[in-house]
Amino acid sequence: MLKQTAFGTLVLAALGLHAGDTVKIALTGPYSGGSAPMGTSTRDGSKLAIAEINAAGGIQVGAKRMKIEIIERDDEAKNERGALIAQELAAMGDLSGVIGTVNTGVCMAGDKHLQEQGITKIICPAAGSASMTQWANKPDKPGVKENSIFRFAAYDGIQAAMVVEEAINRKFKKVAVVFDSTNYGVSGRDDMLDQIKKQGNKLEVVAQEKFNIGDKDMTAQLLRAKSVGAEAILIWAIGPELAAVSNGAAKIGMKSSLIGGWTLSMSNYIDNAGKNGNGTLMPQTFIEEPITPKAKAFIDGFHKAYKVDRMPSAVAAAQGYDAVYIFAAAVKQAGSTDTHKIKEALEDLKEPVKGVIATWNHPYTKWDPADVATHEAFRREQVVMGMVQDGRVVFGNESDKARLIKEATGLTPAKAKTKAKAKTK
Amino acid sequence: MNASIIGQMAVSGALMGLVYALIAYGFQLTYATSKSINFGQGELVMVSAFFSLTLTNLGLPYWAMIPGGLLFGALMGLVVERAGVRLALEQRSEGWILLTIIIGLFFFSAAENIWGRDDRPFPTPISADPIRVLGVDITRLEISVAVGVLGIMGLIELFKRRTLLGKAFEAVSADRDAAELMGISATRTVMLSYGLSGAVAALAGILVSPITTVGPTMASALILKAFSVAVVAGLDSGFGVVLIGMFLGALESLSSFYLGSGWREAPGLVLLILALAVRPTGVFGKAVIRKV
Amino acid sequence: MKRILLLRGAELIVFAFLATIPMLVVNPYALGLLTLLAIYGILLIGLDVTVGYLGQVNLGHVAFLGLGAYAAGLAVTRFGLGMGPALLAAMAVGLVLGGLLALPALRLDGPQFALATLSFAALSTTALNELEGVTGGAQGLSLIRPPVFGHVMTPPLFYWLCMALLAVVWMLMRNLLASQWGRAFEALRDSPIATDAMGVGTYRHKVAAFSLGSGLGGLAGGLYAFNFQYLQPQSYTYDLMIILLLGVVLGGRKSLWGAFVGASVIVLLPNLLSNRHLFQIFSGLGFAMALAAGVRGLVKKTTRPFQALAPVAAMGILVVGGLVVENTENWRKAIFALMLFSVVVGLPEGLMGFLSIFLAKLFRVPHAPLPEPSDLGTVLPSRAADGTPLLILDDLKRHFGGVKAVDGISMTIRSGAIHGLIGPNGSGKSTLVNVISGLYPPTSGRVQLRGSTLPSGSLFRVAQAGVARTFQNLQLFGELTAIENIMVALKGVYRSPLPLVLLGLGRPEERRAQSDALALLDLIGLKDQARTKAKDLTYGAQRFLEIARALARKPDLLILDEPAAGLAHPDVIQQIEIIRRVHQRGISIILIEHHMDVVSELCDTVTVLDGGRIIAEGTPEEVKRHPKVVEAYLGQPIQPELSGDASPLPA
Repeated sequence: MLKQTAFGTLVLAALGLHAGDTVKIALTGPYSGGSAPMGTSTRDGSKLAIAEINAAGGIQVGAKRMKIEIIERDDEAKNERGALIAQELAAMGDLSGVIGTVNTGVCMAGDKHLQEQGITKIICPAAGSASMTQWANKPDKPGVKENSIFRFAAYDGIQAAMVVEEAINRKFKKVAVVFDSTNYGVSGRDDMLDQIKKQGNKLEVVAQEKFNIGDKDMTAQLLRAKSVGAEAILIWAIGPELAAVSNGAAKIGMKSSLIGGWTLSMSNYIDNAGKNGNGTLMPQTFIEEPITPKAKAFIDGFHKAYKVDRMPSAVAAAQGYDAVYIFAAAVKQAGSTDTHKIKEALEDLKEPVKGVIATWNHPYTKWDPADVATHEAFRREQVVMGMVQDGRVVFGNESDKARLIKEATGLTPAKAKTKAKAKTK
Repeated sequence: MNASIIGQMAVSGALMGLVYALIAYGFQLTYATSKSINFGQGELVMVSAFFSLTLTNLGLPYWAMIPGGLLFGALMGLVVERAGVRLALEQRSEGWILLTIIIGLFFFSAAENIWGRDDRPFPTPISADPIRVLGVDITRLEISVAVGVLGIMGLIELFKRRTLLGKAFEAVSADRDAAELMGISATRTVMLSYGLSGAVAALAGILVSPITTVGPTMASALILKAFSVAVVAGLDSGFGVVLIGMFLGALESLSSFYLGSGWREAPGLVLLILALAVRPTGVFGKAVIRKV
Repeated sequence: MKRILLLRGAELIVFAFLATIPMLVVNPYALGLLTLLAIYGILLIGLDVTVGYLGQVNLGHVAFLGLGAYAAGLAVTRFGLGMGPALLAAMAVGLVLGGLLALPALRLDGPQFALATLSFAALSTTALNELEGVTGGAQGLSLIRPPVFGHVMTPPLFYWLCMALLAVVWMLMRNLLASQWGRAFEALRDSPIATDAMGVGTYRHKVAAFSLGSGLGGLAGGLYAFNFQYLQPQSYTYDLMIILLLGVVLGGRKSLWGAFVGASVIVLLPNLLSNRHLFQIFSGLGFAMALAAGVRGLVKKTTRPFQALAPVAAMGILVVGGLVVENTENWRKAIFALMLFSVVVGLPEGLMGFLSIFLAKLFRVPHAPLPEPSDLGTVLPSRAADGTPLLILDDLKRHFGGVKAVDGISMTIRSGAIHGLIGPNGSGKSTLVNVISGLYPPTSGRVQLRGSTLPSGSLFRVAQAGVARTFQNLQLFGELTAIENIMVALKGVYRSPLPLVLLGLGRPEERRAQSDALALLDLIGLKDQARTKAKDLTYGAQRFLEIARALARKPDLLILDEPAAGLAHPDVIQQIEIIRRVHQRGISIILIEHHMDVVSELCDTVTVLDGGRIIAEGTPEEVKRHPKVVEAYLGQPIQPELSGDASPLPA
């Protein structure tokens, strides 16, 4: 029992530690286990941005310049850990905001604690639709009126639409939908099926195949898809099992191409699929090609800081990086470290934020429970189709590349928000 | 549905099953001498694979890297024995169950920090292009797995039967106390078995990595299946694991095809519970008569 | 009484303290952790039933957590039930499925039991994941806490509910485990054969224990569902199971406190380690403790060098690592592993096992005094020894493959007799009594007790029919005390139904059982060692205790399998005296013995076996001179060793 009380005192002591002249930001995500490549990439992208900001003296908060202090928590991709971390963060009192989370399930289990306290969180890069729709209106229950949860990721709705569109453009008729048995995979399947319907049922789903995390032999699933004549595989999965699908398809002589979620750009897919991965298509928010000076600086900076020659997940890293700059802009505009004021600033960011993915012009608006897009930063035009070629992700479509270079040089305005909304809904 | 598709699935499932069998064999080796198994065997597979990858990256050719990897695996096996098993066995407690799990946890975390959290490809000179044998597509890589698995098991069985050290091993397995009376050190034999088991785990890692990639979580799914194979075959059954491993692998593949891929493991699991209920010591295990 | 007061007092203080926390602390995080602690406390108490009391590695407990959570979640979301019924449903799911799993798992132990439970866990995860129409599959199930009696379940209220349930579970389990049931669970772990032979019934108890533990797992699952309000099948996998197992062993097996302490460690430690300051404090403290304990152990020579040094090394790595490593969050799992390693190596009995020894030394609390022994006449009523046939064997055979261990034996044992059974090694004596007592089914032939056929092939049913036995290789319940060994076997004392036992209303019975057991201990002269664990008794005392335990069955027929084997001379004399006393009470005895003097001293009739057949029968004097007997004993022994005591019998 002694131990028990000692623990209690220590918790309190730890929680009451230093309140000072810093902006406290918590970074969370899975830093160990199967989702760790995404979690650590996001974290490291964010930390790079924070290091840059701190090196430049910090954020101008009202009259003071304040540095950013990082609180780091590993949720191990476990809902239970995620919920406890959210409780811990929600109880801190002087926390300005949270950036992170890879797994949709962790959002579902944890974010309510933050939302209850009105703690500002930018979800990054968890893309599952449910992590935002849980706050929106539902047939049986109204959504929340105020929402402090934002997202900075190309959510699955956009991505699935692009994947289906691409398959239709490439004149495929029969497709197999393949997904892993995680929350991410299953909700991706639902989004894709939904989009196929919305886009006029031009694709016939001849097979739906599932696999578990850790499965390495996909022969049975692929043979089934092959035997019913699938021309393309629309795939949604989170980990290195994606490569097993490519390699398995090559083994049984299946020539169908893979089109799927952004995770297909992760190095563990590209490396492990090798030449079998060539031609794989996926929506991307960032491609590790130094096409703009800003991108080059970011890529070089990341490689140098973390002593790698390629990012485990460039998309996650870039999103983590931009999310910090957006958050910092909100702190500056709010002129306060108070998380509620930062939330209001985020909903109405006056100045454009120059990021590595794009220049973010008013990314969020006031929360509307009838429209989750108010708290989603990404629009269709910030997402491009990437393609795997000889071990790297390149632009699947040269016109996208040209457009981004043009935008970065400031010739065209970043985006027209209303138009984008009409397109994705 | 034609025969070649069924054949294709059965063959690729069974080849995966051989890897289960090899890891299961590692369980048997230590169980024979000490009635204990390393619950962190999966982590042993993983760290050995990572170490072998490092050797390859240092420029060692594939064939020269293999002995290095095996040696490392054996060494790690000895570490597990010393730190996690010996004390518990001396005290006749079951602490080894927890300690081996804990050491596995440590290996896992260390590997994440030393080699990174990402899954990486494992280069191999053996081609992954399919060749057609009797209407079934099979890669040279898969054949190399089969050859490697059966090869090392054959070698170890030969070692146990033909060498003096191997006979000591068999003696301790048969009757520990009697062997000690004959002047055979049981402690050393247990060490030997853990060393061998570690080497077997390392080989499993080297063989399977080109197919499954190397990453901290690479063995977490494998290990549960290997455990099933070992227990269903019988923890003292030697080559029984090969048959059971291949059977289970093929069954998974086929049930995935017929029942839907989500239910892939279910028939195996049900069969397993039933098999144990009928033959508690395993399908190929020796039946034990209750005695008082 | 002082002991009870102290123990209850400690429990009361802890629970009272925990109950006041929401009033003192407003920190929702601390409250969240403590709520989880209460839930895990219930979960681990359930797991301890199989891991601690039954001594089996149960890898399926996590499945019951998941199934319970889903049962509660679905009860609320699909059927609109309230929290109470939902929790009941969760518990019922655990109880029922636990009972079902126990049926095939019954025959297994060790790695096989572990695997069967593991497979069940994998199956249930698959089912939860695949039955998307019911459970929502991988996308999870969101639910809200329904109000209870019109009150919205705020975090403090929910915390109180969890703590209250933990307290209730605690009390019920304490009552149960201190009763005949708890003793039976432990007996089962130490010797399933003897448990069966004492008429306790391994089957019933194993199913009950497993089902009970799983029911608690289900209940914890229900609370878990209401705590997190979001469920996913992937949460209940092997990873979590391992952590639970660690919790039970770390805390200390067979102890409610142990489960609670274990729950604290696994809930609080990983979450607190994220904080770098706390981590440094813990590693520093840990290192100091390990060093102190290690040095003390080495100086006093109570621990082996490895046991003393390994924790010091592990904690040393932590302290150094804490200074060198830049980002300790990356190494969280390794840190957790090193801390656990130190505890498991340094304190093999778990934290509570260690603490209880320490506290016992500190307070020196005496045990509650034992009641006066009952009158032996009521415990073991004298019966008439009328010499009528009691046990009749009719052409009994038992073959093992080609070996005819018992090959057509017909004999009669008369009421009130001490019937000797002798023969050279491998003559089939042990096999014969193993067949009579139900360990082996006969290949052919019949056994009749008082004119009705004795059940065959079941130790339990033979014991129920009135035959008790001892074992050549001792089969005592080593972890139980002498008096408890007898209490486990006591027939006709325990009548209270389970609900009353759970409520702690079985106490009068318990006193009566103690009195009766003491009377039997008195009979064998071990009254003063009633509280000694059986494994700590002298070898002779252990032999005597086996007889007393068999007598607790109030048997018509007592089978003594080499009761004097390995005894020193004075003990042999005492053993003879004990057997005489038992015989005086009119109990019929079959005595297998090698010592001819013991046989001559005690037996009225002696049957001699050789090669599985009877070669002579008569009084000891007649038999001794029988030419075939002389030949069998002095001629070359040609039969293979068959008595079952040295080598396993061929299949």
